[in-house]
Order: sequence, then C-alpha cells, then structure tokens
Amino acid sequence: MIASSHSADKKVYEIARLKNEVKEMRSAFVDGRSKLMRLKMESHVIEVMKDKGLAPSVIPPKKIKVKKTQN
Amino acid sequence: MAVNESNILNRLYFIAGCMFIFGLAVVFKLLSIQFLQGDVYRAKATERVVKNVVIPANRGNVYSVNGNLLATSIPKYDIRIDALTPKTKTFEKHIKPLCDSLFKYSGKPSSKFEKDIRRARANRNRYFLLARNIGYSDYIRLRNFPLLELGAFKGGLIVEQTTKREHPMGGIAQRTIGYERIDDKGNVTRPGIDGAFGIKYLRGVDGQRKKQQIGKGQWKPLSDANEIEPKDGYDVYTTIDVNIQDIAHHALLAQLEKYKADHGCVVVMETKTGEIRAISNLGRNKNGHYYERLNYAVGESHESGSTFKLMALAAAFEDKVVDTSDVVDTEKGILSFYGKKVRDSKHGGYGKVTVSKAFEVSSNTGIVKAIDQAYRKQPEKFVDRLYDMNLNSDLNLPIIGEPKPIIPDPRVKNGRWSGIALQWMAYGYGVSFTPLQTLTFYNAVANDGVMVKPRFLREVKEFDKVIEPFEKEVINKEICSKETIVKLQALLKNVVEKKHGTGYRLYSKNFSMAGKTGTCQKDYRDKEKLNYISSFAGYFPAENPKYSCIVVIHEPDKSVGYYGADVSGPVFKRVAQKIYTDTPLVDEIESLEVKMGAVEDEYEKFYKTAQIYKTIMPNLVGMPAMDALALLENMQIDVKVKLNGNGVVKAQSVNKNTKLKNNQIIVLKAS
Repeated sequence: MIASSHSADKKVYEIARLKNEVKEMRSAFVDGRSKLMRLKMESHVIEVMKDKGLAPSVIPPKKIKVKKTQN
Repeated sequence: MAVNESNILNRLYFIAGCMFIFGLAVVFKLLSIQFLQGDVYRAKATERVVKNVVIPANRGNVYSVNGNLLATSIPKYDIRIDALTPKTKTFEKHIKPLCDSLFKYSGKPSSKFEKDIRRARANRNRYFLLARNIGYSDYIRLRNFPLLELGAFKGGLIVEQTTKREHPMGGIAQRTIGYERIDDKGNVTRPGIDGAFGIKYLRGVDGQRKKQQIGKGQWKPLSDANEIEPKDGYDVYTTIDVNIQDIAHHALLAQLEKYKADHGCVVVMETKTGEIRAISNLGRNKNGHYYERLNYAVGESHESGSTFKLMALAAAFEDKVVDTSDVVDTEKGILSFYGKKVRDSKHGGYGKVTVSKAFEVSSNTGIVKAIDQAYRKQPEKFVDRLYDMNLNSDLNLPIIGEPKPIIPDPRVKNGRWSGIALQWMAYGYGVSFTPLQTLTFYNAVANDGVMVKPRFLREVKEFDKVIEPFEKEVINKEICSKETIVKLQALLKNVVEKKHGTGYRLYSKNFSMAGKTGTCQKDYRDKEKLNYISSFAGYFPAENPKYSCIVVIHEPDKSVGYYGADVSGPVFKRVAQKIYTDTPLVDEIESLEVKMGAVEDEYEKFYKTAQIYKTIMPNLVGMPAMDALALLENMQIDVKVKLNGNGVVKAQSVNKNTKLKNNQIIVLKAS
C-alpha cells in the first residue's frame, strides 16, 4: 500500500516534469515558427534582396501547359 | 463533622457522581463532534490536503487560409533573482560576468545591473526582476548566464511562467485577429476574430479533478471518479492570406508615412466568395509611429464622398431616370441649392458632359445635377432604391463594433432629411458607411450583381475534424438588373483606363483594374479643422474580377496631397500588382514536340557524321563545340579532347580523315 502510493507519487512528479517539457518544446516551436514567418514574409525578403540588387518581378511567371491530345 | 463510615461513603458517592457526570459530558462532546459537527470538520480536514484542481483547457489557435499561425497560446517567462541565496563567494565570483551577459542581452549598461543587484542583496530582496515576459529562446539564453545557471538553490534563479496569447505575425492584422482580455474587474474586451469566436470555439471547457497534496508543491489525483475532462478549444481557420496581408500592410504603411496621415485601412476581398484576404488598420500614435489601433475597416463609419456616386448612379440607372449618355451641364463648376454650394474640384467645371464622363472625372456638379433632375420631385424613390440594394443594413459581422449605415429618409422624423439632402447624398455627403460596407457594394458590382457577405472564417476544426464549415452567404442575389451592372462596370473601368479618368495615374498596361476615387471633406463645418478622407474602391482584373479592394486614408497632410488617386490609389495598385504577379499566366500549347527545320537538319547532319566516323577523325570545323565534343567522346576509340573557347569549332589539331589512336589528344579551337 505504502509502496504503491509512493510509486504513484513518483509518476506524478514525472508527469509534471514531462508536461513542463512539452510546454517548453511548444513555446520553442512557436518561437521558431514566428521567427520563420517574419523572415519569409515578402516585405522582408524584398528588403534583404535589395542589397543584392534583386527586386520582385513586375510580370507574372508563365506556366506552359501541354494540351492533352486524345489518342 | 464526625468521621464515620456513612460520611466517607457519601463523599465517595459524591465524587464518583461528579466523575460520572464529567465522563458523560466527555462522551457527549465526543459524540457531538463525531456526529453532529462531524461533517464540517471532516470537510475542513480534507480541504487541507485535497482540493479540486481546475485543469485549464488549451485555447485554440487561429490560422491563416494557408495554414500559418495567426494567434496561439504559448508560455512566457519572468526571470527574477533571489539576491540573498548565493553565498558571498559565488556571488562575488559571478556578479561581473552575469552583468556583462545581461548588458549583451538588454543593452543596458553592465554597471547599472551590478549596482541594482548589489543593492537588492543589501536590501535582502529575494525577488529582484531581471526580465519580464520573455519568449522561450530568450529564457533559455538567460538561464545559461553565469550565476543563474547554478539554479534556484545555489544561484537564486526564479522562473515564473504564464501563458500568453501570441501573434506570430507581430503587429500585422493584429486588430482583426484580435484577443480576449479580462481585466481586474472582470470586464472583457474582445476585439477581432479571437474575441468574437472566443466563447463559442476557441476557449474550450476547463476540466476539474480532485487532487491530494504530496509535497514539493505537487498534487496527485485522488481518483478517476468525479472529474471533468478538460476540452481544448477548437482551432479557427480564417480567410486571411498572409502574403496579401503583408503586402497590403506595408503598402498602406508606406502611403500613411508619405502623406503623414492620421489613420487608414485597406481591405482585400475575394469577389466570388466574399472571403477577406487581407485587412489592415493603421493609426498614428503620439510619436508618429503607425500601428494597429482600431479596426477602422469594420468600426469607423464616415461620409463616403465620391465613392458613393456609384451607388447614386446605380439607383438612377436602375430606375431608368438617368443614362450614361445623358448630357449634363456642370455649370462652370458651381451649383447652388438653398444658398449652399456644390463645387467641382476643377475650377470652372467641365462644361457640358455625359453622365459617364461626369463620373469618370468625378464631377460633383455633374452627378448632383443628374440626380437632382431625376429625383427632385420624388426623393423617396431614390432612397427606396438604395434600400433595395441593401445599403441601409449593416453586415451583421461577428466582429463587434459595426455601426449601421446612415441614409437620410424624408419619411422618417428626425431622419436627417433636409432640402439639400438629396443633392448632397448624390456625391456622398450626409450618408455614412464603413469601408467594409462600401466594399461589399463594390464587390457586388464586380460579382455581376450578387452581393455576398464579407466573411473572415473558413472553418472551425478540432485537429483534422471539421466542426463547423462556413459557406458563402449571399445577401442579395441581384442588387440590380444585368444592364445596370454592365453600365456600372464600364464606368469603373473607364475611371482607370480613360485618359481623363481620375484613376488614370494608376493605369498599368500589364494588368487591368477598375475602381472609383474618393476625396471627401471631413470636419468641413469648421474651416480651420477641414481635413480630407482619401479613398479608392474597386476591383481587379477589370474583366472577370477576382478581388475587390478598398483603401481609405484619413487626414493626409494637405501640403503633400489629398486626392484619392494619389493617396489611396497606390496602395490599391500595389495589392493588385502583387496578386497579378503571383498568379501565373497559363500558355497552352498543343504539343512539346515542335519540329523546327534548322534544328532537324543539324541533328541529321550530326547523326550522319556520328554513324560514319567511328575511328577516323571527321571534319568538325563549323560544328557547334558541344556537338563536336559529344561526337569525339562517343567514338569507339578513347581520345582526349581539349576545348579552347566555346561556340563554333574553328580549327582542329588533327586533320580530317586521319586514323585516331587510343589516348590521342585532340585540341579544338572554338569561338
């Protein structure tokens, strides 16, 4: 009885520790993701590439599509 | 008293009786505590070691249309130091490097940190704040600083964690994404989507569980029974497109800064479905910086000015009292009603012009004259027609704070009607709409008369399961006849495409746009305070519109400019251009195998040479160097080829028709 109660207690500590870890991981993920999002936003990319002399194109890309012939 | 047997006995009985009564009293108290007050005490006892712990539900996330996070809950950290815990030796050893690290982290001078921490130690401060509300990566960084890395017991590190709502996009669209905040008094402020759908979807239901204290400040669950499972909030998928939002935000910001305007907003809406792709609201604070202050697009109703001319003409066309080819006299740019004057922005007016030209040059007098002639005797008819086009009702948006449109009505007492109401309405004064309400009408014109409700939500999800999808909602299947729509669309197109149009400065030969400029006076009752509202509403491409967009900028600096086309137009154009350049043009071709005579010939020649010369040097002069190289390397004999230059072969080191040997070196000169 006492032993099993102690083992249960141990598990509770373990769970608390893991929960904290999950929380930390999650915040690390969101932190990284929001950083990435800011980095990949077009306005930011434009700014970075300005030094290299690159700017967004004013003409859209062309997609070449081959018509399927029936035979 | 004589000492005899009976006396002794009596005394004995008396004492025994007293003791018996005392015993009874004890038993009675015992029983009463056990049974009468038992429950109260038992409850008190369990309260100390057992409690009902609330398990908070995780709030759902808000996503953009392409799955980017717009709002989520993450832990934030407060870092404090117990200045008394570290031993003098460790404290002295680490204090300098710690303060240097803190300087690198925050930029505040190291000496200031040292002074503060030393003072905290002297004052026996066990709770000295180092950093508040920092993110995870900063927290990890701080935790590894000297002294703090020693932990709570040796270094005195105190970490407090709270869950905060975070917007990964930062200030962009913040007001529309919104939040839900409860202050100390329990009042809730809930702007934006996060606020509007907080209770219904995002919040979830908190759980409950009985727990027993087991030391180290931990609680263990007592039993599985009598607990409520927490239900996490649902995730909300909005219609906002991060890329368009980004462009719209920065285009608006650039114009606001250029014109030193007070505030402005831009909304981009998908024509067919009414999905809001971008919504940006920027206002200036005291320091002249712009940030998302209020949801102007949803909540700020203002007099429309020239953008309302479209609604006025729509009504007149529909009633067949005015047509595009009717000629009106702009009367040298000034009309007078009851002593009040309608003026054109161009001094001297435009002479006698057609209604459509009056619209394209945005002549106030021209439009007012047309509407005045048509409806002077029956203004109710005009108002009714506007009602028919659903212009008098709000959009019933989930985001709170949308005011009802204002349209003066002669039949309503106190309905803001006056002798000049009709004429003033014709060019957008006296009526009041929010940018989103105006946009909804323009979108209906773009959408061939089908008025759809603007919407912010696509679906509500729990992991991958869709809880509630949101379909497009049609407000009015046909705001006016097909004929009228065609006329209106042509007018809007001409504003940008015709040389005399007010929007011609926006014209681009690459992509088509249609729209109407608006330059509206604000606070015109006091000449001193007179300001402008510059707006542009429209859609693109002009044929087969995909998106409609409105830009409204309040109080631009008059010395820099205030016309709708100059102030708001560029934002519109930038958004249109962005969407245009992002959508690939599709070229369809019949087949990839196109036979070109010259290519065919060359290939035949190459093939023939390759077939004949397998061990003998061919004549390579005049052949493209790449072909010559391929030819020699594919021979039956291994030769080494040195190629100088590129282009067409001019000379070869080995004469033609010479038999080749293994590992022979051939030098080709090309230019």
